[in-house]
Formats: sequence, C-alpha cells, structure tokens
Amino acid sequence: MLKKRLILVLTFNDGVLFRTKKFIPDYRYTKNFIDLWSADEIILLDISKNNKLSQKFLEIVNFFSLNCFLPISVGGGIRYFKDVDNLFKQGADKIILNSSTYKNPDLIKKISKVFGSQSIIHSIDCKRIKKNKYAVVINNMIKTNLDPIQWAKIAIRNGCGELLINSIDNDGSLLGYDLELINLIVKKVNIPCLALGGAGNWDHILELFKKTNISAACTQNIYHFTNESLKSAKEYLKKNKVLIRK
Amino acid sequence: MPLTNNKPVDVVDVGTGNIANICSAFKKINISYNLCTKVSDFKGGKIILPGVGAFSDFMYKLKKRSIDNYILDKSKENISILGICLGFQVLFSSSTEHKLSKGLNLLKGDFDLIKSNMLIPHVGWNDCEIKKEKTDLFKDVNNNSDFYFTHSYILKKYEEKDVIAFTKYGTKFPSAVNKDNIYGVQFHPEKSQDKGLLILKNFYERC
Repeated sequence: MLKKRLILVLTFNDGVLFRTKKFIPDYRYTKNFIDLWSADEIILLDISKNNKLSQKFLEIVNFFSLNCFLPISVGGGIRYFKDVDNLFKQGADKIILNSSTYKNPDLIKKISKVFGSQSIIHSIDCKRIKKNKYAVVINNMIKTNLDPIQWAKIAIRNGCGELLINSIDNDGSLLGYDLELINLIVKKVNIPCLALGGAGNWDHILELFKKTNISAACTQNIYHFTNESLKSAKEYLKKNKVLIRK
Repeated sequence: MPLTNNKPVDVVDVGTGNIANICSAFKKINISYNLCTKVSDFKGGKIILPGVGAFSDFMYKLKKRSIDNYILDKSKENISILGICLGFQVLFSSSTEHKLSKGLNLLKGDFDLIKSNMLIPHVGWNDCEIKKEKTDLFKDVNNNSDFYFTHSYILKKYEEKDVIAFTKYGTKFPSAVNKDNIYGVQFHPEKSQDKGLLILKNFYERC
C-alpha cells in the first residue's frame, strides 16, 4: 500500500539555510542533511530576493543530489524553461512552480511535454478571505481574484502532477494546518496533494492525515530538522495507525 | 548465466530526466559508469536504461540515435540490461500513453493507465512483494521493503513467470521483472535510499 509522506522543506537565501518567518541565517544546518534517512522526500526552496535562479542554489541542489538518495523537489525563482532544464541537470527530481505560471500557464505544458507531469509540483499560496473562501496569492503578496480550486484545475489541465497547498495564514504559526482549505481543494482534484504551513507538533500532522485525504505533510519547522525528530514523528504517526514508511 | 565483466555500466542518456541522480547513486556505491548519448559512446558494459517523460517520445529519442537497435543487439549477446521507470516500460511490447505505441518488445506486456478511481500519478513510497525464488536483483532486500514510485501507467497484460515483485495501488501490478538477462523496475532505486542502492549494486555484481 502507498504510504503517507513526510516531507522536509528547507528554505535557502543566497545559499544559506533559513528559518521561515524570522529570517535569521543559520549556517549550522545548511549541509548537515546527509543522514536524513527518515524523511520521505526533501523540498529545497530558494527565497533569495532577486527572484532569479542562482549558481549558489544550483550548487546546493547538486550537493543534495550527491548525498541524499531520496526524491528532491526544487522551487523558487523558476521562470523559464531553461531554469527547469538546469535544475534537472543538477539533480532535481521535481520542480515546484508558483507565481510565474500565473501569467504564463503554458510553461507547465511545455515542461510536462518534455519531462512528464510527474516532474511538476504546482504550489498554490492561499489567503483566507472568509469561511470556505480563499484567494490565490502570487509573488508572496499580491492577492489575485482567482479561487484556489479554479487555479488548481488550470494547473492540472496544463499538466502538473502534484499540488502543494500552502496556507499563508498558518505559515510559521505552529498552530496546525489549515484543514478547511486543504479539504476544500483535495476533495475537488484527482492528483496527489501536499500540505504546507502550520505544523508545530506531531498532533498537527496526525490531524492532517486523519481529517483530510492529503498525500503528504510538509514541515519547515527548524526543530523538525533532525533525523531523530523525524523518526519520533513517524513512530507517533504509526502508533496512531497512519500508514507511514519505517 | 549473463556475462559478468568489469566494464563500467553504460547509462543511456537521451537528454531527459534525472540522469544526474543515477550518476550520484553509482558514485555513492563506487561503481564506475559511462554516459551514453549515442551508439559510439557505449563500452560494452551492462546497460542501465533510465527514463522519465512520455513513452512514445522516449522511444522516438532512442530510435533517432539508433540506441534501440544497440540495446536489442546487446540483449542477444547476453549483456544484462536494467530498465528503470519509463526505461522499464519501454522494455515491453506497448503502452497506451497518449496513443498506442510500440516498445522494444524484449518482454511481453502492455501498459495502460492506472485505475481511474485512484489519484494519478502514483507517487510516493510503496512496498514490493518479492518472489522468494528470484533473489539476484533483490539479494539482501527484505520482502515488503518500500521503494519510491512515480508513474501513471502500469503493466496490465504480462507473463506471470517474468514477474519478480508485485506492488498494490488500486490493483496489484508488477513492479519488478526479470527474464534471462533483461531486468526492470517500475520504481526508482536511485531515489530509494539504502535498499535502492543495494539493487543497483546487485545488478552490477550479480545479474
């Protein structure tokens, strides 16, 4: 049977691993992930301000490819087809698209044609407006008139293979995932969805798996960045009957 | 018995997908490899056929470079071949991806889309029910070990005797096959941590 996935999200600014929210550089962790045997997948996000794919970030992708033998998804600053080609050559397994496809949904189609839809995760940043109503946000701040479900369906039609549902309201809050948002989207699509934003403890991840049909829980909490903590999360989920990889 | 030789593994590279990660995996297990983008690049070692993308497009790329004929010739010379993911799929007769397309036909079988009530693609870690009597590729790998999958098409018609592992996603499907010197896995050993690396090592040393 297919297992639920636990995905570690690592954010980089100018080649240095960053915590979310507080944006304090922490050099200790940057290259300390070769022992992450308990993670099911890794997401590397470049949050450098110039919003361009940098050589430094490509080197990070390559470092992970050489040392971590698990799926590596990469996002941030991807605007052109050549960015994608470059990232795959450095060892990305999947790329994460976000704001750039808002004006250019054909980019999804083009990538899917060459690399296959399984290589594309489309991220949707969502901001809560009122109960059961959300707006898609692009470039970290611009609220659009698009509804996340509408946007998800456009991305799927153009050929993305997975959706990353990101709750802007819950991001960094450590108060739990936005289950209302996640259920809203997951119930309307037929591709695997990953949830991001809000995980503060193991119960939040358990709740996510029990109350939604999500395929993966993403965490970018710095305190989850050790193999020991991932292992204990998995033991907790397993004890509570979530189908998870050992 | 398939040929054993000390030549580097010939890795087929037709310009799509995660060849970098296949290379990383061979570096990690200290097995020398040789990237082959055209027929003259091949050094006569065992062949790895990795693939991502679409079936017909991938077959077209192999044909354009005459790599399809090279593989067919070497298969008759008893050189071992391991197909990975899409490289596994094209070892078979056909697939209905986009349109009905012919594969290398080294193994009998047809691919079709995963059952429609399941989420597609099938992405993530899933377990393999390994047939005990076939141990060379899976030597020292425990039954029901998890491997990383990502694909939308599965082998629907096949020869039962060629199957060395099954996986369940909506329906039970072959996730690894072996017939004589031809081997294939639907999952990604290069992305499946220690057990995946062990499979690549077993292929080089035992198959």
